[in-house]
Amino acid sequence: MTDTTHDQRADATLDCSGLLCPLPVYKASLALRQLSPGQVLHLVTTDPGALEDVPAMARQTGDTLLGVERTETNQLFWIEKGPHR
Amino acid sequence: MTTTIPTNSVTDRGLRRYADVRDLLPDVDNPSPLLRLNRVVTGEVYLKLEWLNPFGSVKDRAAAAILAGLERDVGLDGRHLVEATSGNTGIALAALAALHRIPVTVTVPEGIPEEKKVILRMLGAEVWETPDDLCPMDMPKDGAIALARSLVASENRFVLGDQYRNHDNVTAHYTTTGPEIWRQTEGRVRWFVTGLGTGGTVTGVGRYLKERDRSIKVVAVEPQPGHRIPGLKSLAEAKQPEILDLDLIDELVRVDDEPAYDTTRRLWREEALTVGPSTGAVVAAIGRLDIGEEEPVVGISADSGFKYTTYLAETLGDEGLPRP
Repeated sequence: MTDTTHDQRADATLDCSGLLCPLPVYKASLALRQLSPGQVLHLVTTDPGALEDVPAMARQTGDTLLGVERTETNQLFWIEKGPHR
Repeated sequence: MTTTIPTNSVTDRGLRRYADVRDLLPDVDNPSPLLRLNRVVTGEVYLKLEWLNPFGSVKDRAAAAILAGLERDVGLDGRHLVEATSGNTGIALAALAALHRIPVTVTVPEGIPEEKKVILRMLGAEVWETPDDLCPMDMPKDGAIALARSLVASENRFVLGDQYRNHDNVTAHYTTTGPEIWRQTEGRVRWFVTGLGTGGTVTGVGRYLKERDRSIKVVAVEPQPGHRIPGLKSLAEAKQPEILDLDLIDELVRVDDEPAYDTTRRLWREEALTVGPSTGAVVAAIGRLDIGEEEPVVGISADSGFKYTTYLAETLGDEGLPRP
């Protein structure tokens, strides 16, 4: 699940390394509230469960998951805040 | 004109004096009141008024036992207490933890009454409001539980009360609520009715009463899926709590929101009992049971309605408002 074709710019970064799901999703949700619509949150996680939880969160909140990258130890997400939050 | 005070009002209860708020916690020698209902239902039906406990709910018992168990098993020095709660357990834990200067974080389901969140924050707790579907890989309605567990798994200083798994929750009711009911009814209780939440009350009280008399009927009250009755859980949309022993339950009665809130309103207006909606659900369930004559019933009145005024207001419409 690696997609490096997306724009990797971010307006904020949240490092949730070491945190187990669903904690990263919860913290990402709080961080997105601080952003304006159209701004991008870069989320870093180490729990593989985030690969299912983060896309599900984005679907539920109306935010857009711009890209996902998977390294040996991390999962990296770029989430654009939707217009309706 | 003079009034004669009945002898049974002049007991040493009039001299009750306490050195610490924890001394107000109920036990067999200081039971929560058992009050007979006289108007809303027929028969010999009593409510155990748990909202007169010091922190306002039946959860005072579980919280005290859980905290004592954590102190015994893992120690609380330097710890940070975490609990998933619909409010009442968190309130009691936060109050008790404050006495020990232990920080508390509670994860609560999204949409619990504002009143409960304010009470928790007043007691110094950090309140994490959690969407029920936060963890899509888990069961719906268990988001707060999943979040609390993930928080504790992420850092050693966090310790979980874990009321859904912690057997001290059951023990609290086995050693206090059950014996209180047995003694207060002088062993006459035939039916015990309570809402289904963590399963601690129904399992602890049910086990105690059935050990005294196997024929006592134990009834659990379950809400509808998507309900608006704080403190209750629908087994259709949440995992069965690990401490819940379904074998102890003779009848599982489902009460939907409307009859629960209708009965709550009747209890306020006809019995002058300012109970919360889960008590309405319990009394509505009692009204549906096939109870014979001479069969005393005890229902749990878990908390008062003052924590739910925003919910109650939704059911009132324009009732009680002046009209032009």
